[in-house]
Amino acid sequence: MTASSEPILSLQDLGKRYVKYDDAPMLATAMLRLWSRSRKSPFWAVRGINMEVNPGDCVGIIGRNGSGKSTLLQMISGITAPSEGRLRVRGRIAPLISVGVGFHPELSGRDNLYVNGAILGLSRAQIDQRFDDVVAFAEMEGFIDTPVKFYSSGMAVRLGFSMAIQSTPDVLIVDEVLSVGDLAFQLKCFDRMEEIREQGTTILVVSHNLNAVRTLCDRAILLSQGRIHYDGDPAEAISQFHALLQEQRELGEAPENSRFPLELGTLEVEKVELIGAHGESTNGVDAGDSIKVRIHVKALKDVDKPFVHMVVIGPNGLPVYGESNLWNPFEPLKAGELGVYDVSMRANFVRGSYLVNTAAGWVLEGVDARRCVPPGPINFYVTGRRGVTGMADLGADFQVYASPNGKGQARG
Amino acid sequence: MATVGAANQPVLELTAAPASPIALIRSIVAHRGLIATLARKDFFVKYRRATLGVLWAVGLPLIQATTLTVIFTYVFHLNLSEDTPRAVFMFTGITAYNFFSTSIVSASTSIVDGSGLSSRIYFPRAVLPLQSVIANAYALAFSLVVLLVMTASFGVGFGWHTLLLVPAAILDIAFTASMALVLAALHVFFRDVRYIVQAVLLALFYMTPIFYPLSFAPPNLRIIIMCNPMTGIVELFRFSIGGEDPQWVTASLISLGWTGALLLLAVYLHSKWDRIFVDLL
Repeated sequence: MTASSEPILSLQDLGKRYVKYDDAPMLATAMLRLWSRSRKSPFWAVRGINMEVNPGDCVGIIGRNGSGKSTLLQMISGITAPSEGRLRVRGRIAPLISVGVGFHPELSGRDNLYVNGAILGLSRAQIDQRFDDVVAFAEMEGFIDTPVKFYSSGMAVRLGFSMAIQSTPDVLIVDEVLSVGDLAFQLKCFDRMEEIREQGTTILVVSHNLNAVRTLCDRAILLSQGRIHYDGDPAEAISQFHALLQEQRELGEAPENSRFPLELGTLEVEKVELIGAHGESTNGVDAGDSIKVRIHVKALKDVDKPFVHMVVIGPNGLPVYGESNLWNPFEPLKAGELGVYDVSMRANFVRGSYLVNTAAGWVLEGVDARRCVPPGPINFYVTGRRGVTGMADLGADFQVYASPNGKGQARG
Repeated sequence: MATVGAANQPVLELTAAPASPIALIRSIVAHRGLIATLARKDFFVKYRRATLGVLWAVGLPLIQATTLTVIFTYVFHLNLSEDTPRAVFMFTGITAYNFFSTSIVSASTSIVDGSGLSSRIYFPRAVLPLQSVIANAYALAFSLVVLLVMTASFGVGFGWHTLLLVPAAILDIAFTASMALVLAALHVFFRDVRYIVQAVLLALFYMTPIFYPLSFAPPNLRIIIMCNPMTGIVELFRFSIGGEDPQWVTASLISLGWTGALLLLAVYLHSKWDRIFVDLL
């Protein structure tokens, strides 16, 4: 039972060092390396990690790619050993990265569940006991004796997910798999996670989906360059994450639109704001609203052909839409003048949290251009229309073309 | 670093220090159900789509034994004076050796091949080579049944010596498993192992008294053949069907020695690298 107050997970000064071999080790090079040891370059993927998690907590782990999230998870799930420090986990761990692990296409869903369950550390009796629940949760009753090769990818994921989530682990590690499967099943999984959490299961959520972290977790850890940058309130962690992204961008670490060289001291983006349907500055919009991204650009020198660039990043971290008026630049700006540009569009987005990255630049000649230091992203939230899933809201219209009752007419 | 099974809740403690061999062995034993499940899966998946199914597990060594019998009777005029029928003699050697060679080929690359599994969830990596060996052991069991039927139909009498088939099979499996564990571990670091294994298996087939009796080898070559761990195992199998060489005891003890040494090395390597393998996959 989880009655004790002892943390279920405790990490002390945990670090993992990888050795990059500049070439794959072969017998011959291993022998050569006896007198030339220069080909290894060690680096720390994570270092100095101290954290404790109590039973029943739900903790989100966020950070950019390469910030050490995966390495940390691999250590917590026992897949790889730390290079320094100490890690202690009480109880059985089910990493959801292991969804459908060991599934073989030739075997039936039933046989695969037994193999998968065994890999997850369940005995045959334990699998027998859970079998019906797993199949029912996955809604696979009619297909369980069909070979997995005839399943759609969604069905296989559902079955694997169901097994992992019904295996009643003490620590459940959830990662991007959450974005797989249809929405109804995703919601069901969220509900189930909430349930097992109430039963005392500890949940770690590692995701680029900041919304999932915000809604599920009561604590979030922000990793940056292998170290804990922030540990606490999820909303604060997310805003620090955005601040970090901005900072790194200013340092030129992550030039997202590095097609054109960066040049200082010509243009400056003073402010970026989102203008809602009623002309107000906002950060919450309804799907289908007419919105504007208003970019305030100040010229420090005379600029002939200024232009702006904008990319909307979706909840899954992928760009949804981007455009620039490089081909159709604005009127010239004199030194000291301020240009305020509106990029209007219709918010045909699905529900979720979005980022807008902007940039300003100027065309030199033809397609050669320069850009200024990009400002940080702005964040907005879309209240989506009901029943809409996918990447964008294309505003489908549902009408009866012909019906047994008469002429084509949508029912009001 | 060690995985200690508490009363009802497992506790995982990890540091940079390698696992203790005892803890590793305990963990492998705790995963025996997983090994059996995976091995069964392997075995049935392998023959599932074939019309003749599991018969192929026995069919291939039978065909091989028939070929060798025909070649060595009519081409090389090999004169076996023993009272063991030639086909039984060949089939025995082939059964013992084939189990070893097919297991080693798949097991030695098993940790690397299983990276899809092992980078996503932890279990002792030794499970992977053992899974290959056990899957082949199912085929060995089928072959041994056929061997007994063959022995009976050729009119060779059963006796107490037939019981030695059990320790012979156990030694074959134990030696193969130890060798597989060592090779699978080394293969993670040196991918050349795969090719070295293929080359050595080719030579070893001729250096093992499979289609000739040990006594046919000239004395200086016989010493080398005796040192081959597979010789003792084949001889032990031969003893159980009554066709052994006088030196079978020495040869078997040599095989036993090899098995023990490789097993120790396997435990050492796996407890040292168990949770490091994944970094190199």
